[in-house]
Amino acid sequence: MPISFKNNASKNIAIINSSSTINNASKESLDAALIYGSYEQNIALFFQGEGVRQLIKNQKTEIVKVKNFLKTMAALEFYDIENIYVCKKSLIERGLIEDFHIENIQLLDVSEFSNKLHLHHVILRF
Amino acid sequence: MQTLSVVVTTPPSSYLTITAIDFIKGAIEAGIDVVGIFFYQDGVLNASANLSIPNDEFQTANEWQKLHTIHNMSLHVCISACEMRGLTDEIDVDGNSPSGNNDQQSNINQYFTVSGLGELVELTSKSQRMVQF
Repeated sequence: MPISFKNNASKNIAIINSSSTINNASKESLDAALIYGSYEQNIALFFQGEGVRQLIKNQKTEIVKVKNFLKTMAALEFYDIENIYVCKKSLIERGLIEDFHIENIQLLDVSEFSNKLHLHHVILRF
Repeated sequence: MQTLSVVVTTPPSSYLTITAIDFIKGAIEAGIDVVGIFFYQDGVLNASANLSIPNDEFQTANEWQKLHTIHNMSLHVCISACEMRGLTDEIDVDGNSPSGNNDQQSNINQYFTVSGLGELVELTSKSQRMVQF
């Protein structure tokens, strides 16, 4: 059931990241997240599908001529963006181990991931 | 009154862009207050001043122009997303335009407002609902 809310009420905003590291969408989603953070909005990040690749340590994007924006993810903590959810199934499907370059990551199974997402009023996906 | 904001992330040639236009028109007809449209990612390409699409194709650019002129709709483009895609409002008139065309100082269509991501946050809080295409 859709959640209704009045104008100016504080909204929970979710950003879904399902693009791999080598994709403009990933950088643009991070830019948007940081702006929501700097305006002190309730923002949560959801990583699933290919998006989980953005969190893996020691990626050398320069090899494929992509500017390394992953370093900027360290700023999430500075903007108090602490709700970072990762779909565990997506990691397993890709054979990735839980070795991340940022803190505060919460691994969730599919139904927990879905339940969390349903607590948000605005969902943007990248 | 119900309020809505729309985020467009697809280029002019995408069917999703056409759906976004239909959706916005439908919302206006239904009496919903569309507080603004934000163009992000490849959506900023809709704001190019140099679009020329064959006549037998759907003219998305004309539709955006009509939404602006008839319905006074704010069309916000994210300038950092623009610049990554070669759109800028600060072409150097002394000869450093990327296209070599120095007659214009901007290659962003006049019906669009050059904005930043802060506007996306504003629209999120100003509208009851935000829909992304």
